[in-house]
Amino acid sequence: MSGAADKGIGAPLPRKEDYRFLTGQGRYLDDVAVPGALHAHFVRSPHAHARIVGIDVAAARKAPGVVAVVTGRELAEWTTPLRMAPPIEGLQPVEMATLPTDKVRFVGDPVACIVARDRYLAEDAAELVEVAYEPLTPVPDVARALAPGAPLVDETLASNLVSHQAFTAGDPARRFAEAAAVVEASFHQHRQTHAPIETRGCCAVWDAGRAHLTLHIGSQVPHPLRTTLARRLRLAESQVTVISPDIGGGFGQKIALYREELTVAALARALKRPVRWREDRGENLLAASHAREDSARTRVAVDRDGRILALELEIVEDFGAYCFYPANYLARVVAMILTGPYRVSDYAFSVKVALTNKCGNGPMRAPMAITSWIMEGTIEAIARRLGLDPVEVRRTNMLRASELPYAMPTGEVLEDVTPRETLEHALAAFDLAGFRARQREDRARGIHRGLGICCVVESTTYGSAFYKAAGIAGSGHEAGWVKIEPSGAVNASVGLMASGQGYETAFAQVVGDVLSVDPGAVRIHLGNTDTAPYGMGSRGARGGTAGGSVLFLAAQALRDKVLAIAAALLGLNSSGELRLAEAKVQRRLGGEWTETGLSLADIAHVAYLDPLRLPQGMEPGLEAHKAYDPPPMTYSNATHLCEAVVDVRTGGVRLARYLVVEDCGTVLNQQIVTGQQHGAIAMGIGGVLLEEVVYDEDGQNRSGSFADYLLATAVEIPPIEVISRHTPNRRTPTGSKGMAEGGVMGAIGAVMSAVNDALAPFGVVAERQPLTPPYIRSLLRGKV
Amino acid sequence: MKPARFAYDAPPTLAAALALLAEHRDDAKVVAGGQSLAPMLNMRLVQPARLIDINGLPELASVTRDGDRLVVGALMRHADLARDPIVAAQCPMLACAAGTIGHYAIRQRGTLGGSLAHADPAAQLPLVALALDAEIEVASAAGRRRIPARDFFVSILATALAPDELIVAVRFPVRGPREGWSFRLFSRRAGDFALAAVAASLALSADGALAALRLAAGGLGPVPLRVDQLSGLATGVPMSRERAAAAARAVGAAAEIEENERVPADYRRELLAALAQDALDEALERAR
Amino acid sequence: MSESVPIVLRVNGEEHRLLVEPRRLLSDVLREDCGLTGTHVGCEHGVCGACTVLFDGRPARSCLLYAVQAQGHEVTTIEAVAAEGRLSAVQQALHEAHGLQCGFCTPGIVITMEAWLAENPNPSEAEIREALSGNLCRCTGYHNIVAAIAKAAARRAGSAA
Repeated sequence: MSGAADKGIGAPLPRKEDYRFLTGQGRYLDDVAVPGALHAHFVRSPHAHARIVGIDVAAARKAPGVVAVVTGRELAEWTTPLRMAPPIEGLQPVEMATLPTDKVRFVGDPVACIVARDRYLAEDAAELVEVAYEPLTPVPDVARALAPGAPLVDETLASNLVSHQAFTAGDPARRFAEAAAVVEASFHQHRQTHAPIETRGCCAVWDAGRAHLTLHIGSQVPHPLRTTLARRLRLAESQVTVISPDIGGGFGQKIALYREELTVAALARALKRPVRWREDRGENLLAASHAREDSARTRVAVDRDGRILALELEIVEDFGAYCFYPANYLARVVAMILTGPYRVSDYAFSVKVALTNKCGNGPMRAPMAITSWIMEGTIEAIARRLGLDPVEVRRTNMLRASELPYAMPTGEVLEDVTPRETLEHALAAFDLAGFRARQREDRARGIHRGLGICCVVESTTYGSAFYKAAGIAGSGHEAGWVKIEPSGAVNASVGLMASGQGYETAFAQVVGDVLSVDPGAVRIHLGNTDTAPYGMGSRGARGGTAGGSVLFLAAQALRDKVLAIAAALLGLNSSGELRLAEAKVQRRLGGEWTETGLSLADIAHVAYLDPLRLPQGMEPGLEAHKAYDPPPMTYSNATHLCEAVVDVRTGGVRLARYLVVEDCGTVLNQQIVTGQQHGAIAMGIGGVLLEEVVYDEDGQNRSGSFADYLLATAVEIPPIEVISRHTPNRRTPTGSKGMAEGGVMGAIGAVMSAVNDALAPFGVVAERQPLTPPYIRSLLRGKV
Repeated sequence: MKPARFAYDAPPTLAAALALLAEHRDDAKVVAGGQSLAPMLNMRLVQPARLIDINGLPELASVTRDGDRLVVGALMRHADLARDPIVAAQCPMLACAAGTIGHYAIRQRGTLGGSLAHADPAAQLPLVALALDAEIEVASAAGRRRIPARDFFVSILATALAPDELIVAVRFPVRGPREGWSFRLFSRRAGDFALAAVAASLALSADGALAALRLAAGGLGPVPLRVDQLSGLATGVPMSRERAAAAARAVGAAAEIEENERVPADYRRELLAALAQDALDEALERAR
Repeated sequence: MSESVPIVLRVNGEEHRLLVEPRRLLSDVLREDCGLTGTHVGCEHGVCGACTVLFDGRPARSCLLYAVQAQGHEVTTIEAVAAEGRLSAVQQALHEAHGLQCGFCTPGIVITMEAWLAENPNPSEAEIREALSGNLCRCTGYHNIVAAIAKAAARRAGSAA
């Protein structure tokens, strides 16, 4: 790279974004002032499953300050339903009205919307809306959803099994017949929710004179959101602008166009007045989007040394009541990448997804979160059964560098990963032998320590080819532009939207590195669909690789143009001996780089304002627009080690140490990458130990406040040691691989593994999350 | 999540506050720190017509000594209880328990009187009041009375306070010689309400025999419970760790525990035994 | 029965004469009537800590106070912390240690920890974690926040010496 090494790609620069956030000058959705905006508030179902017999809004319409009260009937006129029917084998097509008119499907399902002068008055009026319901039998879990004769969550379907796919590679049946042992293991991951500290919300402004809608909304994917919004309002995409202000956390919850947001947009247009909505915490926990809740079983055929001969996976996911995404989307990725760093050729999976009377699921940081726990838990089950050291079983089965690239049994190709290296490095850094000695001594004193290991291969950046192969609708490409303005100032934009990832800093480093300008002078523009190029937005772990790469390529194209202009101005035939350094053009003469006297600003001035001096045929201006479709999939890898202490009397779990060794390729900003790793690990730990969306037998949600849905605090999350062992990916422009979700995968597996190691002397195994104190005590009862 | 309408008064004197309470009775709610009440108002779980704000009554925020009693004003904030040197010296269990309530910012607002009047079954201060045989001094326009803590907590979020009464102070016994104490709780996260909590106070005679025992547990049912009688410990017996352990087991086995869908009773029984053992051990240690 | 009432609110040393319904949360009045949007609303039931302000110098959840209750008291919000654009010790340390990501919880953390450090100038890591436990952060895993608070404490101690 030609840029200043201390500020370019990889430098741990403090973030440009921070000043505004630290001083209370961030601008989040609710901080966007729109004069005269009315406030929307939704009336929601108290029932899990009920027929809507009638909705009486007359009293609410007369309440003080109320401007409008609407139900699904009006919305059906103003908007089109959401049809989710990609051509995927085994996936049932479904359709969703903007607001339900026939029946409600979960507690929190919105049935009416009040628009009033302020939120207080809107909530007053909501108490006056009378909805007559005829309760139906709720479907509270997957077992009952898939039982014969179950009530239908979606009455247009033949059953609640909304998606089912099966796959076989090789000949697992034959391998099972040959096996020295067949080991089974089971895994249950509970329902969770994203819980960004900033809830959802939006503000819609309809400009009747221009027939144009502006939707202010914290969205991870402004352009795809615009496409859907325009279609569902029957507007041209040129009639809609989506502007995303700063986002107070997304984690996957701010991707879909939700029914509330569409309703608010439709109301602004119908009323010809700005309308805003700010979800409250209760609504967020009850009705935004949920995630996870998978049950999985593995069967594995092994030889005497614990070598895997064949593997079978069955996974069933509880998808909730509505499909904001294709129902196969989340669980199927688990099945596709399950084998991760291990050598498995004979493999079969079955992935079932069922509808229930709960809030609909969506992708939450690591939609495939359970993957590593299933695979590592299966390895540990093998070790337990055969009386082997679980580290040795990992070594026996783990791919060697010489075996890469490796086609996984599903056909996905693993390359440029270093699982053995991170495993060995982690074990050495942790001092495994020292730990085992301490563990023995402490056990004798009634202190039960356990060491958890989790080897992660994280699918990070999904190229279009993977989407196609996995049966997920959409593209994996990203778009960006870079402009050097006439003064030499640099602007750049990409179709992603940040919610804490520090793009304004990391991408300024990428652009600045290529153009050799200080990242402080590069401004990254995000979130406005009129400014940014159409991109696929922020999801998965694609930002660094998809977004960073496209800006890298655009900046390179621009640099080439700058140097071509410089060559012309210097009277050279080619720019081959020119480079940019500190925003100036240098020339190599006799092996020495010397100043030419031309600066970037000089070139920019010519490009814009004196174009007759440009090389013949070159168009004026300094802009580069690029799109980039990454390889089918890039993978990062890491090894997570966790030391847990289980209080066998109370069932409490304390994490004493956490260490991760990671390889995520070239990093744009190590400080940001480490921060992402911390955050992902914390989300995984909190999910295993604390967070749980609880529905009771009647389908009532018992976790509707932050006193019940428990996010981890600074006391429960241990210090996290991050050790970098990055090796570049050879197929991406910068060598980056992407990261940000693997921490969740690793923490889930490592904490479970650590607790099971601590519980080993009692002969019990935890197979369910969350690891609540009562659950751990229930395993130990009668054994301690 | 916005409260329903209410009227608001901030009376400048106790007499004015009591007059307002006498006038509005059940239509009014008294607000002190508001750390429990405001969430319920915001969620519209309670919709009083009027709030009577007693934060402007500094006479309720004092700590004084009255014989062998420490008289602690109802408006004392948890953070002040936790750091007040007089409270720490004379009623250390109260100081310790107050320091475990919620979080730093919550403790700056929440008050002793508010916590007792709210009467959450898993809260710290009702448990301490019960464990120490405190008396709750309440006032109304008609006069004052003292209610023993044993009679004060009636049911979940319900107390013996009449609609026109206000807690003005709580009278705690001052820690005696050779008196040890302990306050133990177990919660899912730092600052959460306890799944179970135990408060123990025991006094030893000069020869090491048990002279007095007070043992109470919270989070088990609708109100905190005294469990001394279940411990099998009698005054006059020599105290030892073994005897304390047996007492803790007995308490765990015999305590009345309400079923609860999230935290099964058999688990809380085990937790109670574990906490009781730790509390008795620690109290014994401190008494020696 | 519950008309709007006139109040005088002192925020960051400035007086605001307002007409408010008694039920309006202090957090809403700060944001909407005073235009101080640095105070963020994350749960409105006192758990997340994003809306924490100083109330007579002590941290308090502004979602658990009604604006009428703030009459005669001094309210300080995040906007007053960086005097003349210079970051406070806590703010500067959070920046250097990457102690914030989305930034939504950050103002509540700055406000709380500034007050706490004034009272606890030499904290241990465990004490920092306990003090921080009333502020939920969904992004950072707290590691860098804890490091930043320790750094700020050391700097404050150094500059006081």
